[in-house]
Amino acid sequence: MISAHPTNDQVRGPPSGLSAVGISKRFGGVKALTEVDLSIRPGEVHGLVGENGAGKSTLIRILSGGLKPDEGSVQLDGISRSYSSPADSRKDGVVTIFQELAIVPELTVAENIVLGAEPSFDRFGLTLSRHRANLIAESVLRRLRGDAIDPRRRAGTLSVAERQLVEIGRAIALDAQFFIMDEPTASLSPRESNALLDVVRKLRSEGKAILFVSHHLDEVLEISDRVTVLRGGRAVTTLPAKAATSEQLIELMIGRPMETLYPPRLPCSGPPVLRVRNLSRPPSFEDISFDLHRGEILGFAGLVGAGRTEIMRAIFGLEPPHRGTIELDGKTVAFRSPRQAVRAGLAFVSEDRKGDGLVAQLSGRENLVLTAAAEGGSGTVVRRASIRVLSEKIRQQLHIRGSLDLPVAGLSGGNQQKVVIGKWLLGHPRIMIFDEPTRGIDVGAKAEVYRTIQKASQDGASILLVSSELSELIHVAHRILVISGGRITAEMSSDDFDEKEILKAAFAAHLSSAATEAELRA
Amino acid sequence: MSAQDRVDMAKPEVTTRDHGAGVGRSLLWLQNAGLPIALVVLVLFFSIRSDLFLTVQNLRNVGLQAAALAAVSCGQTIVILTSGLDLSVGATVALVSVVSALAINHFGMAAGILCGIMTGAVIGVINGILITWFRVFPFIATLAMMSVLSGLALSISGGTPITGLPPEFTSLAYTRVGGVPLPLIVSVTVLVLVFLFLHYLRLGRHMYAVGGNRQAAILSGLNVSAITVTAYAMCSLCAAVGAIILSARVGSGQPSLGGSLPLESVAAVVLGGVSLFGGRGSIFQVAVGVAFVSILSNGLNLLNVSSYTQMMIVGGTLIVAVTFDQRFVARS
Repeated sequence: MISAHPTNDQVRGPPSGLSAVGISKRFGGVKALTEVDLSIRPGEVHGLVGENGAGKSTLIRILSGGLKPDEGSVQLDGISRSYSSPADSRKDGVVTIFQELAIVPELTVAENIVLGAEPSFDRFGLTLSRHRANLIAESVLRRLRGDAIDPRRRAGTLSVAERQLVEIGRAIALDAQFFIMDEPTASLSPRESNALLDVVRKLRSEGKAILFVSHHLDEVLEISDRVTVLRGGRAVTTLPAKAATSEQLIELMIGRPMETLYPPRLPCSGPPVLRVRNLSRPPSFEDISFDLHRGEILGFAGLVGAGRTEIMRAIFGLEPPHRGTIELDGKTVAFRSPRQAVRAGLAFVSEDRKGDGLVAQLSGRENLVLTAAAEGGSGTVVRRASIRVLSEKIRQQLHIRGSLDLPVAGLSGGNQQKVVIGKWLLGHPRIMIFDEPTRGIDVGAKAEVYRTIQKASQDGASILLVSSELSELIHVAHRILVISGGRITAEMSSDDFDEKEILKAAFAAHLSSAATEAELRA
Repeated sequence: MSAQDRVDMAKPEVTTRDHGAGVGRSLLWLQNAGLPIALVVLVLFFSIRSDLFLTVQNLRNVGLQAAALAAVSCGQTIVILTSGLDLSVGATVALVSVVSALAINHFGMAAGILCGIMTGAVIGVINGILITWFRVFPFIATLAMMSVLSGLALSISGGTPITGLPPEFTSLAYTRVGGVPLPLIVSVTVLVLVFLFLHYLRLGRHMYAVGGNRQAAILSGLNVSAITVTAYAMCSLCAAVGAIILSARVGSGQPSLGGSLPLESVAAVVLGGVSLFGGRGSIFQVAVGVAFVSILSNGLNLLNVSSYTQMMIVGGTLIVAVTFDQRFVARS
């Protein structure tokens, strides 16, 4: 473990900046953080990376006052501080910009920027001076190069990137010194991300300290001076960003070489089961045609928003297509509802497992038998004994850890996902749709999800796998279709998978924007 | 290299935004213009169907009838803007009516009215405290308070109206200033005051902040509890004004006043485009909502539609309005 306190701090006297010193935190029996040291200094961008569940969000919440550490302390310029809330830490100039942006949609941009510290006409601060609020907002936004945003605009009409700028503007109006940014580029387009990185650089040049938390390792390496890697609640190392590569960071994050993640690919050569022809639902997708064979894993690559999820939803009867046919075993089908699709042997593991996949308050067992097709759940009366037998089988098959008797909300993301998959497996589906099955789950659970998908395909199920992780598709799928702008732009089989070609095809409908992107990066 | 791939692959170029904004804009337009249009249609309909509708006398009546609802709806607007709800406005009106009637008989008119208003303020503060400190859902807290206040009004009055009020009080309802009923002038004043409060005072803007994004309000160091308590206090104050107006009209302290006000005020507010999810809406649109509800009931009376049928129609109207609200939230 490399110390987060280089020796020159001690030369300068008390360490300046915001630091976490020996912080540990437990939730029930689970140790979320163990003796974590981390410091962010004025004029520095400090990257923080780690797998989901590594403790990043816990650390952020402790630094920003949302949680109290069990051991250790948060120190400001070497003095121990005890924050009771994020609002409290703001008084010390520590501002956290969370993923869920704190913008009041009905108020104007200016009102959002001065929220809680509005300029007033009177001595008692009762009235609101819109004019002065606008002036403050204007000057703050100009500093952030966001002059394009009219302070009088309603904040609800802003794009995500603009909202983010408004929130950073609010922090600047408060004269914040420490910025904790949680996944700031997660929902931004490349151009917007670059603009945000420029803002971060600007803040750094003004002597602010920034903790930059992101999954986008390239960005972290590009913007940061130092990077701290968290793994299993420990700060594994802090290293200068210049010396690091993203491969190195990933291996530090998962604590082992990457190759062990994927199971070896097994061959498949079955007859076609699902035949899709000219499926269209403009503007989401158009003229989608493909065959899915028995036991095949067919991957769908593409950019977020390319129309892949919409295609899956159309096949599953959630949003019927406008044109085109779907044949199942040679018979034309047109599912009007998921219920019909499930009856015909389809299963859908959705990308939004909390929203679509699970009833958070019900126990793992009850969730498992929720599907109409599940054996234990058919009929009117809930048969607890058979539920128990079935769910134990699934638990062993999928290595679900944690209690199935408690509400699923308490399980980790990976185990929740296994419950969703298990729920469908119980119905012995013939066609399984997986939409981003490994989003937001840790590496160990990912490996098990891949293994489960492969097992299902070996047992004769055919798989449609939508994923934004290219390596996942390349290692797991037998064949990949690339979707761009709602159309199939490439098809390749496992012998000639090529990352570059897939990316090129994925950008096919966005060639102009891809070109500008290349310019921007150059 | 999973994480790195995600960097490359997860690059949405937002192409659907323009489309979405178009839908949002037309819906917004419908939100803003839909109700005035419906109001005009309603007025035309009643004018054609009834000769009595478009007479000065009847319009004065409508104004008088709308006055109490307008005052109560102003308060309801503030509470709903903070993503709350006050179901106890009707019972508040009943209790304030009884208390102020008793007080007027004992201490005279001015002191009596003041007593009634103070009672309203106390009720609102209790509602607010239940909701903030004791964390009772607004729906449950004010539903329970509705029963408590009703019971209180009935037991104080012994279940019968408190009569013997001085004529200068009862004549308040029928005083006209420049041909306009005084109660309507009072209500319009309340409306304008609420508008000024919501738009020009920091506290008013904070109501929008609390309802629109509670987390943002907390992070910005706003005292969300104090703001919420103030909202409920203002709501009950407005209800108290409505109670005085109604008491003057019926000429007594009535423990059974205001039974339909929770529904009617929520209907007027939601018709006026104030989102039940909080943080969105304008008081002037609510004024149109109040006009709609009042004219609807007046016109139906003129057409001899039974009050039972009227209840069904008002309920149906509320459902339609909420459906629009849900659609709007789902789109935006």
